[in-house]
Amino acid sequence: MPAKSNYVANATPLFSILSPAQCEEIFLAAEEVLERTGVTVHDEEARDILKKAGCWLDGIRVRIPSAVVNQALNSVPKRVTLCNSRTGSRDVLLEGNNAYFGTGSDTPFTIDPYTGRRRRSTKQSVGWACKVIDALPNLDFVMSLGIVQDVPLLISDRHQFEAQVLNTSKPIVTTAHDIYGFADIIEMCEIIAGGEEELRRNPFMTLYAEPISPLQHAWEAASKLVLAARKGLPVVYTPCVMAGGTVPATMAGVLTNGLAESLSGLVINQATREGSPFIMGGVFTIMDMSSTIFSYGSPEFNLLMSALADMAHYLKLPMFGTAGCSDACVVDEQAGIEAALSIAMTALSGPNLNHDVGYIEYGSTSSLEYLTINNDVIGMARRLVRGIKVNDETLALDLIDKVGPGGHFLAEDHTMKYFKTETYYPELINRQRYDAWKENGSKTLFQRANEKVKDIIENYQPEPLPQDVQKRIRAIVERAEQKVH
Amino acid sequence: MSNYFEDLAHSVIAGQQDRVKQLTQQALDAGTDPVEIINQGLISGMNVVGARFKVGQMFVPEVLMSARAMNGGMELVKPLLVGQELPSAGKVVLGTVKGDLHDIGKNLVGMMLESAGFTVVNLGVDAGPQKFLQAIKEHKPGVIGMSALLTTTMLSMKDTIEVLKEEGLRNKVKVIVGGAPISQDFADEIGADGFAPDAASATDLCKKLLA
Ligand code: B12
Repeated sequence: MPAKSNYVANATPLFSILSPAQCEEIFLAAEEVLERTGVTVHDEEARDILKKAGCWLDGIRVRIPSAVVNQALNSVPKRVTLCNSRTGSRDVLLEGNNAYFGTGSDTPFTIDPYTGRRRRSTKQSVGWACKVIDALPNLDFVMSLGIVQDVPLLISDRHQFEAQVLNTSKPIVTTAHDIYGFADIIEMCEIIAGGEEELRRNPFMTLYAEPISPLQHAWEAASKLVLAARKGLPVVYTPCVMAGGTVPATMAGVLTNGLAESLSGLVINQATREGSPFIMGGVFTIMDMSSTIFSYGSPEFNLLMSALADMAHYLKLPMFGTAGCSDACVVDEQAGIEAALSIAMTALSGPNLNHDVGYIEYGSTSSLEYLTINNDVIGMARRLVRGIKVNDETLALDLIDKVGPGGHFLAEDHTMKYFKTETYYPELINRQRYDAWKENGSKTLFQRANEKVKDIIENYQPEPLPQDVQKRIRAIVERAEQKVH
Repeated sequence: MSNYFEDLAHSVIAGQQDRVKQLTQQALDAGTDPVEIINQGLISGMNVVGARFKVGQMFVPEVLMSARAMNGGMELVKPLLVGQELPSAGKVVLGTVKGDLHDIGKNLVGMMLESAGFTVVNLGVDAGPQKFLQAIKEHKPGVIGMSALLTTTMLSMKDTIEVLKEEGLRNKVKVIVGGAPISQDFADEIGADGFAPDAASATDLCKKLLA
């Protein structure tokens, strides 16, 4: 063996949008926004907390000194772990460049896998979605893929959580209408985890809230940040900003404004209780200036996502990203193109908890077929990210010499040892030859996905919760229902 | 004069506020009828803008620049309209319903209506039935538009319609609704007069309802 010095290897592909110097520039600009322009906070308790932390108040307008932001960045944990709700297994490590994928939440509509029609989402459609997510190996966490609309709407969040937790043991990112909804959902989670501290130690859920661009924290959002900190539970805080609409049209302006919103949310959270787990989000995109949609598939959406991931790594904050979604109104070629681009870029830049896989129609409708196709796309992207390992064993010089010109590698031990680990085999993507494909019914990718979805709905059994736990969860749902009557 | 009006309309379409002001002032100095300036120059330019936006040939910020240019001209003409009403396509009261904070879509609808010559009263967010009721009494609009992006808040649209019935005002005003979870079916179900999926069609809808 020679001594080999000054050797640099890429263990994975390298991919970044922003340099560290650019990250710093944007971060300092966001701090300047918070000191100079500030944010509005529409919750008295949160304002009091901010005042005590050293912020400057002017009515509901709060300006945040950079030192206070820095303090929050120091106290926030650099990693958050999410667990399996049945086993407590610590599966999802939100840290560094780990990229996990999951679905999105409250679409008003969903495509029925049996009729192919777009209809309002229900408790049953959410249950189906969670079963499918639970069965797909490349999906790591769950958001509901629909808002439950066939129950009393004011407490539909409790039903929605019940439909989710009964049908999946993967970690859940949960929305709620307000802090009362969250309180009930947290109670359900504590029952499942076996207590308050158990849930805090092995959280299988995270709360979710959003500021309002530009630069506003509504009562709902601020109170959720405070509640999460008091409970010591993780919270995702995710600005949904539109370039040219609610933030500047320039990409750097989008990042600065969006980051200022996230950092001020972080301050509310950390000032309530230092060390609370916090996950920085951001769906940063453009408003299409012709149709006026909030775009889930534009190149700028991908560019901003990757740039924000660079920011998150620079600031050492766990991050909530977005991928596998589309502006297409049905699952067509456009939907495929947009998912492939966003999933590949997300996997390459490494935001941690990446949601909205399975959204079509710019976030208004969900499709289980799309989700199932994207399960393959995620597998392909993960293969890309594993990169190329270069060493004596993989260079295989002895083998190349042994087989020599004109031979083949099919029956070699080396091939046997590596062909499966070096290659990714997607499940639904077609690699059949023409005649075999024809013989199997000439099915499109969508048709194959539809069959798989139906098969999962009809035959897959998620790990059940113990009977008594199910009953106690039901009781909380019923209690909430009684209150609205 | 026809060339002059063409020039004015073009400047509105191009969103050149300074040029619009300059041309309007010239016309006024030359003694042109203010109503003519509005109808044949300013509004006729905006009509082209509206049509182009609808077919995707113009973008939102361009439309808003045109509206700003038009308003620049309007400001000069207004004081001379002694005794005459400023021509308006109609009055619309807009609001995002109670409990809902999504407002950019509603604001866009408002801006597009204004660009098309409507007078818009924007009630902001979190507008419950009483707020709409008061606004109807105060402003006497031809149309009220309610925006909701949440399934939990879209119910408030129905409440508002019920309150209007109770107050005997339902026949005096058209009610339109919109937002992500809203559909034509839902609009029919709650007894609204119309639904529009985006700002461009909201403008057409208002024109149709007030025709
Ligand atoms: C941006 C956004 C936000 C922003 C809103 C910022 C703001 N100032 O408006 C923020 C981050 C604050 C936000 C918050 C929430 N949101 Co939101 N949001 C969106 C998103 C991504 C885009 C909406 C948007 O602005 N589009 C661009 C504008 C220009 O279009 P538009 O609103 O559709 O308006 C056009 C038309 O609808 C129409 N129109 C609109 N109003 C009217 C009115 C009339 C009379 C007419 C004729 C036409 C009309 O014309 C407009 C212009 O063309 C949608 C996704 C989606 N598919 O819509 C989710 C979405 C609407 N949000 C959703 C949810 C769940 C929430 C939260 C509850 C999340 C949470 N748990 O915290 C909170 C609710 C806060 C509250 N109390 O309101 C769900 C709604 C589910 C449901 N049906 O209940 C959606 C569908 C996302 C999803 N799939 O989960 N959200």
